[in-house]
Amino acid sequence: MITFERFKLDNGLTVLFHKDPTTPLAVVNTLYDVGARDESEDKTGFAHLFEHLMFGGSVNIPDFDAPLQMAGGESNAFTSNDITNYYDVLPAKNIETALWLESDRMLSLAFTPKSLEVQRNVVIEEFKQRYLNQPYGDVWLNLRPLAYQVHPYKWATIGKEIKHIEDATMEDVKSFFHKHYNPSNAILCIAGNFELEQIKELVNKWYGDIPAGIKPARILEAEPEQQEFREKIIERNVPTDAFYYAFKMPERRNEMYYVADVLSDAMGRDKSSRLYVSLKKEQKLVSEIGAYITGSLDNGLLVISGKLNDGVSFDQLDKAMWKELDKLTEHPIKEDELDRLMIKIRTSKEFQEQGLLNRAMNLCTYELLGDANGINLEHEIYQAIQPDHLQEIAIRLLKRENCSLLKVKALNNAE
Amino acid sequence: MLNRTLTPELKQIDKIDFVKPQVFDISGDTKLFFMQEVPNDTARLDLYFDAGTVKGNSGVASFVNGLLLSGTPSKTSIRINNEIDGLGGFFESGVSNENAVVTMYSLRENLLPILRIMKDAIQHLALHDHEVEELINERRQRFKVSMEKVSFLAQRGFQQRLFNDSLYGRVTNEGDFDKISIPELRRFFNENYLHGLTKVVVVGDLSQDEVDEIIDLTGSWAKGTKSEFEKNISNLKGSAHIVKEGALQTAIRVGRMLFNKTHEDYNDFLILNTIFGDYFGSRLMSNIREDKGYTYGIGTMVAELHETGYFLIATEVGKDVKDATLKEIRYEIERLQTEPVGTEELDLVKNYMLGQLLKSADGPYSMTDLYMSVEPYGLELDFYNKSIESINSITPERIMELAKKYLNWNDMTVVSAG
Repeated sequence: MITFERFKLDNGLTVLFHKDPTTPLAVVNTLYDVGARDESEDKTGFAHLFEHLMFGGSVNIPDFDAPLQMAGGESNAFTSNDITNYYDVLPAKNIETALWLESDRMLSLAFTPKSLEVQRNVVIEEFKQRYLNQPYGDVWLNLRPLAYQVHPYKWATIGKEIKHIEDATMEDVKSFFHKHYNPSNAILCIAGNFELEQIKELVNKWYGDIPAGIKPARILEAEPEQQEFREKIIERNVPTDAFYYAFKMPERRNEMYYVADVLSDAMGRDKSSRLYVSLKKEQKLVSEIGAYITGSLDNGLLVISGKLNDGVSFDQLDKAMWKELDKLTEHPIKEDELDRLMIKIRTSKEFQEQGLLNRAMNLCTYELLGDANGINLEHEIYQAIQPDHLQEIAIRLLKRENCSLLKVKALNNAE
Repeated sequence: MLNRTLTPELKQIDKIDFVKPQVFDISGDTKLFFMQEVPNDTARLDLYFDAGTVKGNSGVASFVNGLLLSGTPSKTSIRINNEIDGLGGFFESGVSNENAVVTMYSLRENLLPILRIMKDAIQHLALHDHEVEELINERRQRFKVSMEKVSFLAQRGFQQRLFNDSLYGRVTNEGDFDKISIPELRRFFNENYLHGLTKVVVVGDLSQDEVDEIIDLTGSWAKGTKSEFEKNISNLKGSAHIVKEGALQTAIRVGRMLFNKTHEDYNDFLILNTIFGDYFGSRLMSNIREDKGYTYGIGTMVAELHETGYFLIATEVGKDVKDATLKEIRYEIERLQTEPVGTEELDLVKNYMLGQLLKSADGPYSMTDLYMSVEPYGLELDFYNKSIESINSITPERIMELAKKYLNWNDMTVVSAG
């Protein structure tokens, strides 16, 4: 059980407080309800570029990191298609430094031309390092637009192309900030050995006078239900053929989301999972294989990916793969297999919740979904899943007309 | 009215509580370290074997490590994995130069049942042909993928030149995958696993009976004597470039052999290392990322070996700014050698390092890892009190002195790939 208190400031900021008396550290986690899905299609990669600019100085404080380091702390952030999350970890006795810094950048940024220029370059190097200059690095740049035709999940958080980042102007940056970065669009979680009254006082002091702003409406075009099997082949200078089967799956708030998560575990989480045992160990068709979900807030993807063994064709794999998937739609899984999946889920949850930062982040995520207490209900939702639920979701998801397949074909280079 | 330009008052970290795990004898120098103070149901068990890459040829160490759960005469690997997963266990194993470490994570009530399965799997390892063949294929593919990455190529080239002609400098070549022989794997396994256990680390709220059973289960594998490692390795100085056609970025590695925690300059050098490249506000990050935008990241580290250690600068930069980056690295070294670090920067680094140490000591898992990183050198937790002393008392002059002594460009091994 993860305990927490919740209060709201007049300007709309939601605050969660999680007390942990055992640690000398504090976490200040700020989730902004903005991600790559909120970008316009001709200016992608913006939410992420903006995350970089959030470290380039705020209206009253020229540098974000130095004062935090001076207080013995450190900070980082990540952007997903759904959210942007910033966190600070520091000695609890210096908590006020983090609140001072975070509240000032919520108030307004410095918007220096130098910061924009440098971070544009840094992000372009990040684009190259992680997406272009890695074998298989551009897979998601191809898979997303194959699986999504309308919804903004069709582009990756890094952006569709480097040019969008090169073209970002200061005007774009400012309007993005004013639209998305205000108290009513944020959830703040403070974790550590404090008292609630102390936290209320500090949060009111530093965040109380930030103007409210308006929570931006989010109206995204829903992705129409997929009606046909889609396939794309890209040829790359990679050593081995690779495959990515992506199936549309329910949104995060839907209870079948959890069932799809367990289904992906059954297919390809561990070395005892079905695809690993059948396709790798028994039939020796692949050198690696796994299944996982993207964890998206809107309709996400359940992905099976792996690499072919030398001499095995995509068609051979395809036949064997569907044979395994059909078993999941035709027969309910056995109790002992389900037990194995459940104990794994329980064990990972215990380990994840050890970390103060994980607890703070998850509380914010659940609050965004509607109620931070969801973190405590998750376990029950998983444990209530039965074999017939899994069969039902398998029937719904694991069909060709719900599948987008990306094949990466290795170019034969004479080396 | 709130004045937002003023920093809130800072409080210093005056004391950090370090907790030592309990130590039990398994056999001779092979010991078990036990951290019981875990406030939840999680547990972890690590087995350290004297089975690192310096012990064998052509990747044999890494292959044996990858085959530990590959089956016995009576159980297939599929069944072993089924049993471990059925107990919610997570199994990891890995090889470094000097060690092989096998790790299990689980709920504490399942730790012993999982260990019993592992004990049987390792004790009776069959090394079936088809399992060996499968792993060779898997690793060969993975190796080919790695060889496409400039970061891997640079690291590999750096390792060869840094460790020069010592056993540490051997790297995997594609031809090695054809040379793997089962008798050689068997011999390595018998020598370095069945008689190579050097320590066991347990974190979790287990009973004394459970700890005793762990000692019983692992006792027959104990090596019992101390491991011996090479001394006096010296790096090949100068530059080398590895060509990778079509690469958008160039990976750079710069470094030299140095020392480990037993050296009198270690703690002070760590402060120099932090200023130079080991935190977000470091000299290299400020210059090469935050001012020039040449890279997504650049960092330095001090890595340790049993008898020695090395210093490393690593980055990936745009392909047209390789020389510009090297020039800036040299510029930053010269600045450290000739200009005293300002008070504000030094205070910042001191506070940051104390904060990091506080974090490294937070919670039973981190605390155990912190202890295990001094234990191999015959040091105790008092080492960290000395680190704190060193952080509190270091002067700008001392930092310049160390920069002059250890960061001479002519002593460096420089490798780039791109």
